[in-house]
Amino acid sequence: MSYIEFKNINKFYGSNHVLKGINLKIEKGQFVTLLGPSGCGKSTLLRSLAGLEEVTDGQIILDGEDITKKEPKDRNIGMVFQQYSLFPNMTVEENLAFGLKLKKLPQEEINERIKKAIKIVALEGKEKSYPNNLSGGQQQRVALARGIVMQPKVLLLDEPLSAIDAKLRKSLQLSIREIHDKLGLTTIFVTHDQDEAMVMSDVIHLFHDGIIEQSGTPVEVYTRPVTSFAASFIGNYNIFEADKISKITGVQWEKQVAIRPETIMMSRTPIENDDRFKMEGIIKEHIARGNVLRYTIDVNGIEIYADALFRSASIFNDNEKVYLSIAERNCVCI
Amino acid sequence: MDTNKKSSKLAIVVIIAYLLIPLVMTLIYSLFEEWIDILPRNFTLNAYIEIFSDAVFWISVGRTILISVVPIILCTIIVLLAMYVTYIYKPEWDKYIQILCTIPYAVQGVILPICVLALYTSVPKPFNNRIFLLISTYMIVILPYIYQGIRNNLQGIGAKKIIEAAQMLGASKFYAFFRVVVPNIMNGVTVSIMLSMAIIFGDFVIVNTLAGGHFQTAQMYLYDVMKKSGQRTCAVIIVLFLITLLISACAFFIQRKKKEEA
Repeated sequence: MSYIEFKNINKFYGSNHVLKGINLKIEKGQFVTLLGPSGCGKSTLLRSLAGLEEVTDGQIILDGEDITKKEPKDRNIGMVFQQYSLFPNMTVEENLAFGLKLKKLPQEEINERIKKAIKIVALEGKEKSYPNNLSGGQQQRVALARGIVMQPKVLLLDEPLSAIDAKLRKSLQLSIREIHDKLGLTTIFVTHDQDEAMVMSDVIHLFHDGIIEQSGTPVEVYTRPVTSFAASFIGNYNIFEADKISKITGVQWEKQVAIRPETIMMSRTPIENDDRFKMEGIIKEHIARGNVLRYTIDVNGIEIYADALFRSASIFNDNEKVYLSIAERNCVCI
Repeated sequence: MDTNKKSSKLAIVVIIAYLLIPLVMTLIYSLFEEWIDILPRNFTLNAYIEIFSDAVFWISVGRTILISVVPIILCTIIVLLAMYVTYIYKPEWDKYIQILCTIPYAVQGVILPICVLALYTSVPKPFNNRIFLLISTYMIVILPYIYQGIRNNLQGIGAKKIIEAAQMLGASKFYAFFRVVVPNIMNGVTVSIMLSMAIIFGDFVIVNTLAGGHFQTAQMYLYDVMKKSGQRTCAVIIVLFLITLLISACAFFIQRKKKEEA
């Protein structure tokens, strides 16, 4: 039996069907990410597990126990919110002690747990500070410490890094993953950022319009999308209708085909390789995206996106003729 | 830049002078026997000695404090409970509560106490008791200020998320609201409370209509003194001003101390 099970979960807001019969199993100790665009139902599912939302229909099992109707306070689940939600009138130490005092733990144990949690999130020396005197990153680490200090069965992270700048976000992504590995805590992370999901997760569940479109490891989800939504949301795939891909490759295709932009080879001279699909095109435009250049190429009136590493020697110009080649194994039927 | 600073300072000085000049003049008038020419003559503390030795004055001040503090405490508790219900369980009721709490703005002045009198004079005890009517009426008068203060502060601190965070740490909704959210909004609510205090302290119309001669408050004492002596009237105004100032200072001091302790 799985550690967490969602059985046929349905959730309505009025006539709006937000969760459509979700069935999901999560194993103990996993770092699971619920990924998807805004309004797809991922946060609603997380909040249902926390007890902050009532499900209309279905069952939630945690560690063999049906918790569907239980109050949040009785579920022993920790949660970190997007807006930190720290108590402004309490110091870092008091924020951490709040739940432990409600549990009526002995003062010695409370002090011990707080000390340990502060050390894990590397906030030594900030125990007496108020949330308003801390930076966004520090506040989020306090929220994380407050979540883990309770030693919950599951830790829920509801877009905890969305309000933090890009550089700090990357370092916190690694910190969260390290803390998870260290404590072995079952963690469910909600995000709309596919890069974040790739970096942090053992398993990704891709949500779209109230259903799970695809589940798998980051590599599986990235390299083998099963629907056109999965292909477009993760990896910015080129998605071609069967007739268009047939026209480009000269081979008959029955289904839609998705091709990752970085798997398309580009050259100024014809490519000599028999087992790849070859084609010619004209560069329409190029955009710098960090260390990658994204080219938009016109191939017989069909637009293709191709990525190349940003090296000054190999930059193609707009309106330049290019030769493209695509390996058949990189054409994913969806 | 310098010109801007200078003009800002000048504006502040003008505002302070505008607010203080009447008060200073009242103080000077209360401290002298005559003020016919440019300068006042014959310094005296007689007006103050007279009112300080008048037991009626102190009883009136005590009554005013009573009918100010009780409605404020009751109104704050009732609005907090109403906000708890609307915030946690029935957010869709908020717009109706808002309309309800704004109505007293429209029925101020003499209309409210007359309506209250007309409605409650024939009802059984204790509902026709004058003190009861007075406290209840003041609760209605200050309702918009207390409600708006609490509502704005609840929204300002993101109360909903804080309650959810407390719930996840093992607190009930009720505990989270009153032990976590309320202490966080009290600093802001103090301003509404002070405003309400000032409104009740300065009221004459409602207390005179509802209680008449049965229940003399500071404002009614002032009204009586006005008929007898100009100096004493000014002395009463100054003393009432100082009492209000003292109460406000105490409230802010307690808030500040609580914050420091927290």
